[in-house]
Amino acid sequence: MTPFWAIVKRELWTVIRDRTILISILIQFFIASFSSGLFLGMLQLYDVDTILRYSGGFIRIGVVNPVENQLGAFITKHGMTVIPFETLEQAEAGFYRGEAVAIVDAPEDADGITEIGIYLPESNTISSIVRMVIQEPLKEYENDLRIQKGVDIRYTDLQGEPSTSFEFVYSVLLPLLMFFPAFVAGSLSIDSLTEEFENNTMETLLSAPLTVNGMIDAKVSSVVILAVAQCGLWLGLLKLNGIVIQNTIWVFLLALIVSGITSVSAALGAVLLRDRERSQFIYALMLLTAIALSNLLNVSPITILSRLAIGDYYTNGWTVTMFAVFLAGLYLPLRKISRRITA
Amino acid sequence: MNKILVIAWREVTRIRKQFGSGASLLVVLAFLILLGISAFALWNTLSLGSGLYQIGVSGNVPPIRDSRFVIIKVDVEEGKTLLEGHRIDVFINGSQVLSRQDSKSQYAVRALKQTMEKEEVERVGNAYPESDAFPLRARLTYLGAAGQTNGGSTTGQGTRPEETIIPSLTPPPLPFQQVLVALIYLLPITFISIFFTSSFMDEKINRRLTVLLSAPVTPFQIILGKMLPYVIFTLAAIAFIAVQTKGNVLIMLAIFLPTTLFIFAIYLMVPLFYRTFKDVTFIAMLVTTLTTAYVVFPAMFTDVTDLSFISPLTLAVKMYRGEPFGWREYLFPSLPMAAIFGFSIYAGTHLLNEEFLIGYKPISRKIGDAIYLLMSHTKLYLSVPLWSVLVIPIVYMAQIIILAFAADLPLGLTLGVTLFVSAFVEETVKSIGIVMLMDHGRIKSDREILWYAFLSVLGFFIGEKLLVLISLRVVLQASISSILFGTGLLLFLPLIAHFTFTTIVTLLKAKTKLSYAAAVSLGTVVHFLYNWYLLGGLQ
Repeated sequence: MTPFWAIVKRELWTVIRDRTILISILIQFFIASFSSGLFLGMLQLYDVDTILRYSGGFIRIGVVNPVENQLGAFITKHGMTVIPFETLEQAEAGFYRGEAVAIVDAPEDADGITEIGIYLPESNTISSIVRMVIQEPLKEYENDLRIQKGVDIRYTDLQGEPSTSFEFVYSVLLPLLMFFPAFVAGSLSIDSLTEEFENNTMETLLSAPLTVNGMIDAKVSSVVILAVAQCGLWLGLLKLNGIVIQNTIWVFLLALIVSGITSVSAALGAVLLRDRERSQFIYALMLLTAIALSNLLNVSPITILSRLAIGDYYTNGWTVTMFAVFLAGLYLPLRKISRRITA
Repeated sequence: MNKILVIAWREVTRIRKQFGSGASLLVVLAFLILLGISAFALWNTLSLGSGLYQIGVSGNVPPIRDSRFVIIKVDVEEGKTLLEGHRIDVFINGSQVLSRQDSKSQYAVRALKQTMEKEEVERVGNAYPESDAFPLRARLTYLGAAGQTNGGSTTGQGTRPEETIIPSLTPPPLPFQQVLVALIYLLPITFISIFFTSSFMDEKINRRLTVLLSAPVTPFQIILGKMLPYVIFTLAAIAFIAVQTKGNVLIMLAIFLPTTLFIFAIYLMVPLFYRTFKDVTFIAMLVTTLTTAYVVFPAMFTDVTDLSFISPLTLAVKMYRGEPFGWREYLFPSLPMAAIFGFSIYAGTHLLNEEFLIGYKPISRKIGDAIYLLMSHTKLYLSVPLWSVLVIPIVYMAQIIILAFAADLPLGLTLGVTLFVSAFVEETVKSIGIVMLMDHGRIKSDREILWYAFLSVLGFFIGEKLLVLISLRVVLQASISSILFGTGLLLFLPLIAHFTFTTIVTLLKAKTKLSYAAAVSLGTVVHFLYNWYLLGGLQ
C-alpha cells in the first residue's frame, strides 16, 4: 500500500472511530426533516395557496348585500365561504356570534373612487391571515373597476400552479444537502492539518516515506471522500422520496467539485496560518464571501445545482467543468505553498 | 473580582496577538467590506427559487426584476419553438403569456404572476390619473373582542386604529419578517463564542492551563474571566443591532442575555470534552444547529400558540410587532437557559483539571467520568438528588426539542415517539449517576442502590415540580406537556412509578451482565407503557 492510501485510510479510520461524524449526519438529517417540517408548518400559516387549499372553505367571510357586492363573488371564486347579511349591524352581530371571521361591507362611491369597509378581528394572527386571503379578491375587484374606467391593464389572467414547494425543494433543500457536507469538509481539512502543526507532529509524519504534497493530498482527499459519501446518501434518499433529480451524475460531480474547492481552499488557509482558530475564522469568512460573490457574478453553484436538478436546458456538463477548472486553479498554489512546510 | 478582570485582560491580549498588530487593521477593514458585500448580495438573491425559471420575452414587456427568472430576448417564432422544445418555461409575447401544460411551466406562470402584477400596477399608475389607476379603497376596521363593554354596548371598535389601503399598493403584513430580523441577533452570539472555545483549546494544547491552575486563582475565576470579554462584546453587538433595527436596546439586552449565557455555557463544554480538532468542528456544528432550531422554530409560531414562548426570540418578535409581554412570558424561556448556564459553570469548575482534560477516551467514557467527578466530591446523599435537580432544565429542553422534531411525523407517531424518547432521556439522567458511582466502586450493596435510586428520583421530582410551579402551568395548556412534565401535586403514585423504573435500570446493570444501554432501554419500555396508560386513561 502506498503511503498516500495509508494516510487516507488512517484519516477515515479516526473519523469512524471517534464516531463524531454521526453528529454531522444527524444534523443534516435534522435540518432536512426540520426544514421541510418547518416549511410545511409555515406554509399552513403564511402561504395563501396552502391556506386556501386546505382550509379555504372554513374561512367564513360575512358579506353585506351580496347580490350587488362584487367583492363577494371574487371571494367565493377563491374558495372561501360567503355568509350573506342584509345590513352591517346584522353582520356585526353575526361576527360576534362566531358566524363569520371578518365582514365585507357594501361598497360606496366617493368622488369616482369606490370605498369598501372591511371589518377584521383584533387578533393579529387571524386578521393577518384574513388580509392575506382576501388580497387576491381585492386586487381582482380593483382590476375589474379599472377596466370599467377604461384603463388598459395587462397580465391579469395569469393563473399557473402554486410554486412554493417546487422552489423550496430545488433551491433550498437539495443545495443544502449537497453543499453542507462540502462546507464541513473544508472545516475538517483545517482540523486535520492544523492538528499536526499545533501538536508538533508534522515532522514525525513527514519522516515517513512521503512528500509534503502527498500528505496534504491524502488529507484533503479523505475529507472529500467523506463529503461525497454523504452526498450520495442524500441523493439516494431524495430519489426514494420520489423527488425527481435530472442530470444526477452532473449534480453529484458538482457536489464533488465544490467539496474539493472548499477543502483545498481551507487547506490553503491552514498551511499559511498553521493554527485552527484563525484558519477556521478566515475559512468561515471566505465561504460567506464566495457565496456572495458567486451570486453577484451569476455563477452561484447553488443556482447551478438547482438548474441541473430541474433539467434546465441551458445548464449542462460544461458549466460543471468550469468549476473543475477553478478547482485546478486553487490546487496549484496549494502545492506551491505547502512545499514551504519542510523548508 | 480583581482576578477575574486580570484573566479577562489576558484574554483580550491573546486575541490581539492572535490577529497580528500591523495587519489587524487591514484584516478588520477587509472583513467589514466583505461582510457588507455578502450581506448586500445575499439580501438580493436569497429569494426562494433563485434562477429557476427561463423566460422568453418578445415585444413590449415591462422589465422583470426578480432573481427567480432568467430572461432571454427572442422573436415570436423562435419563442414558440423554444417553448415547445422545453428550453424555456414561459414565453411572453407583448401582453400575451404562453405556457405549456406541464407543472414546471405552470409553476413559472404562478411565479411570474406576482412580478408582472407589480410592474403593471407601476405602469398603470404612471400612465393614468390616480382615481382611474387606483379606483378602490379598502377601509380596515378592527373589531374588539366579544363581550367587551365599550360605552355601554357590548360590541364596537377595538383598540387598533382604522386604516385605509389601496389593495394593489399595500401588500398584506408578513408575519415572518420580524422573525428574520430577530434572527440577526443570533449571528454575533454564535460567531464570537467560537473564539471563546479556541481560548481554552489554546491553553490545553500549550499546557499553559497547568500553570494557570497552579496560580492562586480558582477555576471559577478562570472561566468567568475568559468569558467576560466575549460576553461584553456580544452584548455590545446586540445593542448595536437593536439600535440599527430601531428596537428597544434595554429590552433586547434583557431578552438576549439569557440566550447569550446559554450559548456560552454550551460552548464551554466543547474544550472540556473534545479529543481531536474534528470533534470540535462536529460538536460546534451540533450546538449551532440545535440552538438555532430551538430558538427559531418556536418563534415562527408567535401569537399562534403559547408553546412559542419557550423561545426568547418570540419576545423579540413581539417587541418588533409592538405587542406587550409580561414577566411570566419573560421568565418562561429565560429561567431554563439561566439554569443551564449555572449548571455548565458548576460542571466546568469541577472538570477544569489536567487529568480530565488530557488523554484520549471514547466520548461516552469521558462523559461518564465527568459525571463521576461531579458527583463524588461531596457526600453522595447530597450529590445524587442534587444531580437530578440540576439536570431538569436540560431534560426539559431536550423534551421540547424532541416535541418540535417529532411534530413532522404523522400525528399518532408524534405522540408515541415523543413519549418514548422522553422516557429514555428521563431514565438515563436518573440512573446514570448511580451507575457511574457503581462503576467506580462507590456504591456496592443492593441496599445502597435502592437508597440512591430513591434519592435520585426524589431529586428529579422536586426539580420537576419546581419547574412546573415556576412557569409551565402558567403558560402551557397542551395535554401532551402535562404528561411530560406532570400535573398537579399528587406525588405518591408517580413517585413510586419512577422509583420502580430507576430501580429496574440500576439493578439490571448491577445484577446482570446487561450493558447499560440495554438496561436503560428496558426501563424506558416500562416507563413508556406507564405513560401510554396514563394518556389513555385521560381521554
